[in-house]
Amino acid sequence: MLPLALSGVAISFPGLAQPVLSIDDLMVPAGGRLAVTGASGSGKSTFVNLVSGLERPDRGAIRWNGADITTLSESRRDRWRAENVGLVMQDFHLFPGLAAIDNVLLPARLARAATAEMKSRAHELLSRVGLARPEQSVETMSRGEMQRVAVARALLRRPGVLIADEPTASLDAEAGAEVGQLLLELANQEGATLIVVSHDERLTERLDRRIRLADGRIVADTAMGASS
Amino acid sequence: MIRFVLADLRRLWAASLVIVLLVALATALGVAVTLQERALRLGSARAADKFDLIVGAPGSETQLVLSSVFLQPAALPLMSGNMLTKLIADPRVDWAAPIGFGDNFQGYPIVGTTTALVSGTTTGFSEGQMFAREGEAVVGSGVDLPVGAEVKPMHGTAGEGGETHADSIYHVVGKLQPTGTAWDRAVLVPIQAVWHIHGLGEDHDHEEAGHDEHGAADHDGEADHDHEAEAHHEGEAGEEHHHHGHIDADAPLDEDFDHEVPGLPAVLVKPKTIADAYALRQAYRTGEGTRAVFPAEVLTGLYATLGDARAVLMYVAYGAQTLVAAALMLIAVIHVAQRRKQIGALRAFGAPRLAVFGIVWLELLLLVAIGVGAGFGMGYGAAEFLAGLFTAQSGVRMPVEFTTADAALAATLLVVAALMAALPAALAYRQSPVEALRG
Repeated sequence: MLPLALSGVAISFPGLAQPVLSIDDLMVPAGGRLAVTGASGSGKSTFVNLVSGLERPDRGAIRWNGADITTLSESRRDRWRAENVGLVMQDFHLFPGLAAIDNVLLPARLARAATAEMKSRAHELLSRVGLARPEQSVETMSRGEMQRVAVARALLRRPGVLIADEPTASLDAEAGAEVGQLLLELANQEGATLIVVSHDERLTERLDRRIRLADGRIVADTAMGASS
Repeated sequence: MIRFVLADLRRLWAASLVIVLLVALATALGVAVTLQERALRLGSARAADKFDLIVGAPGSETQLVLSSVFLQPAALPLMSGNMLTKLIADPRVDWAAPIGFGDNFQGYPIVGTTTALVSGTTTGFSEGQMFAREGEAVVGSGVDLPVGAEVKPMHGTAGEGGETHADSIYHVVGKLQPTGTAWDRAVLVPIQAVWHIHGLGEDHDHEEAGHDEHGAADHDGEADHDHEAEAHHEGEAGEEHHHHGHIDADAPLDEDFDHEVPGLPAVLVKPKTIADAYALRQAYRTGEGTRAVFPAEVLTGLYATLGDARAVLMYVAYGAQTLVAAALMLIAVIHVAQRRKQIGALRAFGAPRLAVFGIVWLELLLLVAIGVGAGFGMGYGAAEFLAGLFTAQSGVRMPVEFTTADAALAATLLVVAALMAALPAALAYRQSPVEALRG
């Protein structure tokens, strides 16, 4: 469970005058649940990339539990992300030809972190997301099922933060609602800080707090009612 | 990682198969050339093993060896038959035997010789026994004739308008064990029979007969010959027109060559010691009207030429391998570019950069390794096939075998592949996960 603090963060891309994202101050407490909304091009994806350590800002500090990840080298950030961040993406990024269980275990295996305990956790997570056949090959699954595999994969290494980038956007309403529900439940059970980037009102309104981005800046910051 | 690599290759099996095939074919080319050349060298060396020293008339040493050791049909000049008498009497000689060619039967060369050569160059009979009469023949293991079969000698080959010696027939009385030499495809008959068929050496009818070329001409037109007399040209064996006689099938074997021996294309000499071998070669190399050669020495000269041919073919093979390597690099680089997203995702989900490098590297190396393995198999198969064809045609057994040098070749190929696979792997390693995911 990790608290997040951004201060004076700005990032520009070559050829663009305006910074793509500029956030002076943002705090999310440990176990907090933050929704990020905004039109396309508003900087949402950049926000995800920055807080997950995929990208480094031009300036500013991104502190997770007090440690500034912007000072880490690319390899160190990779390792930090592998150990602390569970990522769920819009288009799943599952690897065809592998069974559900192998997809869940793949990143841990590639990082040589897969233990026997982790394997049994992978099985347990798959059953918790409602998938009964861990050996099923992922390309035979429905999109909703695929995203559940991705959720299980994100949670495997007990990350302190779960970051979901448009997790329901490529699912139909029913599957989207189920996946949204799972994210909330599992983040809660696992005690992970949850950051969800989404257009999906039905998902975002169930989180504690919602910020809206426009042109790379926070234009609205709403505390949501005690729900869920 | 292995599991991921295997799943990936299984998914891309068609492209993987093409890559493996490309690598296999390029490898097989080099392997087949190497194995084939080695087989040719070993096979011919073993075939010449029993042939210590050949004495013939002055002329091409190479042709003398090819004709006597490998029974390659050619018109050899004849040397005086006295040489055989001299050689047999020489104290340095263990045994010496004439080799007379010219006729054939169904494509098998008929070689006139003596019991000394048959027992000296073979391991014995698998069936039957040695010829004991003029009309008897012994066949090599590769001759498709049973004991008891009849052999009608034909002069020249049928395809070249050869003619049969209608009234002369040999009876096969024995079949030899395989020796892996060209002689496995030969029909061996007493030399006296060859002489008689060609109207030579019938000294019981003629004085002077077969003494030398001119002696042979002397009995032309004698009453006991059905054929028209013709001049005997310069003593060439195997020429179109020649004198005909017929064999006296029941005549006993006469292997005392101490009188009036007809001209001979070659004599195989078994010296008593190595020193004797060199002394004999010295004596007959410079002697009047003879030439003495060690087949092994002549073959060594041929191997140098063979080695040059192999070198040229190997350059061709290297060229093919380079082309395949270049094509493979192109495929690999394009492949990595196409999988930017997937590679980025691996990184995003926590795979270390080295793991990404390892996956791309291992996938390529695995494909090349399978290809090289298959290429060695295919090269071996091709060499075996060619050796089989060659053996069927010549009788010389060609040992197709790998040596440690081939392991070095395989290792070199793999090391080069490992180095080259590092380039696309490095591209994948350097790829930013964000850029990859953005696409």
